[in-house]
Amino acid sequence: MAQPKSRLTRTDWTHIAFLALPAILFVTFYIYPVISSISLSLHDWDGFSPRMRFIGITNYTVLAGQPRFLHAVFNNILWVVFMLIVPTGIGLLLAAILDRGIRGEKAFRIIFFLPFTIPAVAVAAIWRWMYEPDNGLVTTVMNLLGLGSFAQNWLGDPSVVNFSLMGAVAWWTTGFAFLVFFAGLRNIPTECVEAARIEGATPWQVFWKVSFPLLWPSTIIVLGMAAIDAMRLFDVVWSMTKGGPAYSSEVLATQMYDLAFGRFDMGRASAVAVYLFIIAGIIIMPYIVYMSRRVQDSEAE
Amino acid sequence: MKKSNWLAALGLAMLATTAVQAQENNEIWHYYAAGSELAGMNALIDAANSATDQYEFSGVVIPGNVVELRRQLQTAFLGGRPPALYQSSMAFELKTFADGGQLHPLTDVWAAIDGDKIFPEGVQRVVKVEGVPFGVPFDLSLINNVFYNKEAFEKAGIEVPTDWASFTAACDALRTAGYEPLGNAGGTFWSLYNFYAALVSVLGEDGYYKMASGELGFDSPEFSEALDLYRDSMVSCYAKNWSGKTWTQTADDLVNGNTGMFMMGIWAAGYMEGAGFKAGEGFDMFQAPGTVGKSIFQMDVLAVPEGPGVAAADEFIKAATTPEGQAAFATLKGSLAPNINVDPAVYGYAGATFTRQFSEASANNAVLPNLFFLLPTDLGTEFGVQIERFAIDPSDAVKSEMISTLEGFRQEALAENAFIKW
Repeated sequence: MAQPKSRLTRTDWTHIAFLALPAILFVTFYIYPVISSISLSLHDWDGFSPRMRFIGITNYTVLAGQPRFLHAVFNNILWVVFMLIVPTGIGLLLAAILDRGIRGEKAFRIIFFLPFTIPAVAVAAIWRWMYEPDNGLVTTVMNLLGLGSFAQNWLGDPSVVNFSLMGAVAWWTTGFAFLVFFAGLRNIPTECVEAARIEGATPWQVFWKVSFPLLWPSTIIVLGMAAIDAMRLFDVVWSMTKGGPAYSSEVLATQMYDLAFGRFDMGRASAVAVYLFIIAGIIIMPYIVYMSRRVQDSEAE
Repeated sequence: MKKSNWLAALGLAMLATTAVQAQENNEIWHYYAAGSELAGMNALIDAANSATDQYEFSGVVIPGNVVELRRQLQTAFLGGRPPALYQSSMAFELKTFADGGQLHPLTDVWAAIDGDKIFPEGVQRVVKVEGVPFGVPFDLSLINNVFYNKEAFEKAGIEVPTDWASFTAACDALRTAGYEPLGNAGGTFWSLYNFYAALVSVLGEDGYYKMASGELGFDSPEFSEALDLYRDSMVSCYAKNWSGKTWTQTADDLVNGNTGMFMMGIWAAGYMEGAGFKAGEGFDMFQAPGTVGKSIFQMDVLAVPEGPGVAAADEFIKAATTPEGQAAFATLKGSLAPNINVDPAVYGYAGATFTRQFSEASANNAVLPNLFFLLPTDLGTEFGVQIERFAIDPSDAVKSEMISTLEGFRQEALAENAFIKW
């Protein structure tokens, strides 16, 4: 006897309708632009002309042979290393200090987090002023402290500019790491810490042997976000130096923008975007896969 | 009807109203976001609104510069809703958009305003693509003036330099007197604009245009000589840390008496006067060596996209090119009016000086448009980057690398037949 045909119920249709909307949005605003960018990267197009010229993988091969492009890749990797270590480390340190219950904790919480609420362009404007090499706040304070000989041409020296930008970004983003770590520390069960103290552990041992391992979910978030932020870095660099002087602070996103709108070369800019996509995937995906497994293992335990 | 349906209907009605308003509102997109620049642009728009009852114009600031405006324009073109007019650079910028079929040819309105008579010949050639006007000038600035702090010159006991020898001697005297001799600023444009003085010294006007049309190579002995002259006469004079400053910060250095000279576009005069440092009293200016009697200029124009706003744009252009409209913008912004019928009496001391210079250069047929915009966009931009790099590190190794890089770009442009004769 033949099975009766399964018919979708009213509930099924409701589910489909609810799922359709995000699916359509995902395809329209994520899948389509990605495919479109890949297609564009195989063409020569100025962004305005009605015609595009198919040139195969020329944009990719030209970029791979350009010192300018390779320097931008290097800078992006430098930013990943920096973002994983400095804002994350300082955020953890500040959270650990504040978690000890010092006076004025609420005020410090606001002070530490406040820079993260400022828009990137405003951060750039503030630091552009602070980094004025002769009379800016940074140089002036160093002069007052007798450290004037260490003052630099902060944004104008190709060998220094990246570190100057990193200083500004550290000030800006540390608040996020601090907040996540601080919330994580406050969620650690007090009995774990108390038990360690009763057993005679020093504060240092309590932190590294008890608190820090239990901060694992917070660490996953902070490191993941830091790596992603480093790869998509654009606004602060563009607003402060436009990738200069002479490409020295350029990252892939600013190079992409310069090629697309500064030089009317949409095809090559799209090739940079695809390279960025691939490089970000190579750097970040192993971390995400590894962390996902750790989370699954933790949940299983 | 349910409450939610009422709300949805209300939302749709509001959206429809907004769309109708946007269509009726003729927008002028520009990137003059603040200060004297915004005041000038608002005055220009006010002049156009006063001149016509038929259309209403409003300015829309696109924050940033020409690059950000291009990005916004591209989106507008793709969406089929461009502004009625927008602020554009001259020459290759116009050519790119015209070649892309996005610009409306301004032949009719150009004839109506008598463009061939009211604008100097040197100005006309950079708004026409193959003889067809695609832009109408409204904002002209000279970029070959050196501003100097009068008190610093007095204390150093120096006269206004007239050639390269006296210029470098002035640098030495200023340095001895405790001043940074010559200010400069970081960025793609400013070192390049300084370099033009050396380039024109070596190449002359004809050579300058040969470089613009791709006939003269970056590997030519003349270009190498210009680089050497720039290195020996200007780079050696630059203030320490110049590459980490914006042009306004360097202008502040001149105002504060830290720096003796600063070669910058004439908008710097407006900035310094805005800071209370008066032209003719606190500071004065002279044409850079090699450019005496000549004018190198940068200019913004109004461009009109193809679309429903063309008729309104024509009316705007008619009002914006009258002597009154041009003066309204130029006097507030601190630039020169491209229309030769503007009464020189509308300018202050600095503006009158620049007007004299420009008139003299026009009479000598020595008006040179900014080379950056005469070159294909990619090459022009690379030119600016490489000159800044050379100014930071004027070693022979960098010089050799930059020549090789720029010549590579030139050959690529030649292969694509990208150069044109302006």
